[in-house]
Amino acid sequence: MSLFTCPFCGSRNLEEFSFHKTLPNVAGGAFEEIYLRRDAPSHSDEHWQHRYGCRAWLRVQRNPSSGEVFAVELLTGTKP
Amino acid sequence: MQTPRPRYSAAALLRARFSRHFWKPLWNPAKPQDHYDVVIVGAGGHGLSTAYHLARDHGIKRIAIVEKNILGYGNVARNTTIVRSNYLLPENHYFYEDSLRRYEGLSRELNYNVMYSPRGVVDLANSDDEMVALARRGNAMRLAGIDAQLLDRPGLVRFAPELNPYLPRRYPIMGGLVQRRAGTVRHDAVAWGYARAAAALGVDIIERCEVLGLTTQAGVASGVETSLGHIRADRIVFAVAGHTGAIGTMLGIPLPVETHLLQAMVSEPIKPLVGSVLIYMYGHAEVYITQSDRGGLVMGGALDGMPSYTREPAWHRLEEIVQSAVALLPQIAGVKILRHWAGTNDQTMDGSPLIDRLKYDNVFLNGGWCYGGFKAIPASGAACATLVATGTAPDLIRNFRLSRFASGHMIDEKGAGPYPVRQ
Repeated sequence: MSLFTCPFCGSRNLEEFSFHKTLPNVAGGAFEEIYLRRDAPSHSDEHWQHRYGCRAWLRVQRNPSSGEVFAVELLTGTKP
Repeated sequence: MQTPRPRYSAAALLRARFSRHFWKPLWNPAKPQDHYDVVIVGAGGHGLSTAYHLARDHGIKRIAIVEKNILGYGNVARNTTIVRSNYLLPENHYFYEDSLRRYEGLSRELNYNVMYSPRGVVDLANSDDEMVALARRGNAMRLAGIDAQLLDRPGLVRFAPELNPYLPRRYPIMGGLVQRRAGTVRHDAVAWGYARAAAALGVDIIERCEVLGLTTQAGVASGVETSLGHIRADRIVFAVAGHTGAIGTMLGIPLPVETHLLQAMVSEPIKPLVGSVLIYMYGHAEVYITQSDRGGLVMGGALDGMPSYTREPAWHRLEEIVQSAVALLPQIAGVKILRHWAGTNDQTMDGSPLIDRLKYDNVFLNGGWCYGGFKAIPASGAACATLVATGTAPDLIRNFRLSRFASGHMIDEKGAGPYPVRQ
């Protein structure tokens, strides 16, 4: 896994992106949101930033066991 | 049934010279029986140590360790062999000090040479502020009866002559905090030594037996479903290190854990150069260097930076680590890297471990070790065995309970907040 596709910049090197956190995917309130995770080997739902590029915040879905990227989309959903 | 094994000693070694039948396998592969008092999932350092202490300290007879792969294939084989107890927070330093003291006597206790080498671990400071932070940590350690000494630049030159702290660097070296009793331990020997000792006490070590699920009956766990069939168990311990998140997924229990990669590397062998463990954290990056008995420079740094179960280290982090190593010791610039590898870390939300019941009264979790798993093995096994055998957590691990996140008693050594990637 060496390339991510940024919605603005296209296919760019992984080093330009920085991982922020995983999304919990656990029902509940603030505690679950902050502290609990479904840390599945087959699916991970994450917040990233194209930090050394256009600085857009991204939602990335990946398979952490293979590195396959399922989807990269803007956190805001659509391009402004 | 285990065959009797010879006790190792100088005299035994001499006898072995004239005998064809002295050397025996350290443990014999076992077939799963129908029922055990305790089933431990994971034949790594923590699982083996827990089994050994359950059998030796608590007299539990029927214990099995089931392992998906081969014994000692996970993080106990992938770490950088450093043992230390130089932590700031009392929840951590008392626990890791207990572990270090056990490591000091482990070769004798297990009758197996684990090659404990108290060569000293030194954390380096880049600024006066960091010297103040190191002094605070050192004072906290000394108040707890742990050895710590703050070194200025001349002291650093005496302690680690290979390091020139006066060299102009982007991040200068102002001094360091040394723990002299800290050092390295031969990692595989820890796994093999515990396996040999546990097997001698009658523990069944079952390799290539993957746990597929937990079976329950009337609200308590009744056994584990494995690739070699169902095994009934009164108590079950999960000690799977980097795969704690996968266990949570398998059992449907959300855990305060993310799985990240930590990589390490070793260089070609060179003549003795680095006599201690040097830890250089600066700006956003870090490196730690030690030299193995074979001469290779063993190096590691920060997490790869994204959740992963792949065990494939990221190349850009490798580059960053070797750059940091050369900034620290410019004389190693021409040395080549031989191998690099990664292990999966079950990074918790506060960077501290989890030893607690897991959902059921008779299911236990020993995990969340983040970077600190190898150095914790002896204390973790002893304390976890007490929890499993008596049902009560000893004081040493009472703070490692899962409920600490809800009650606000996080043990956040770094002060990084609930971001596992920053712990």
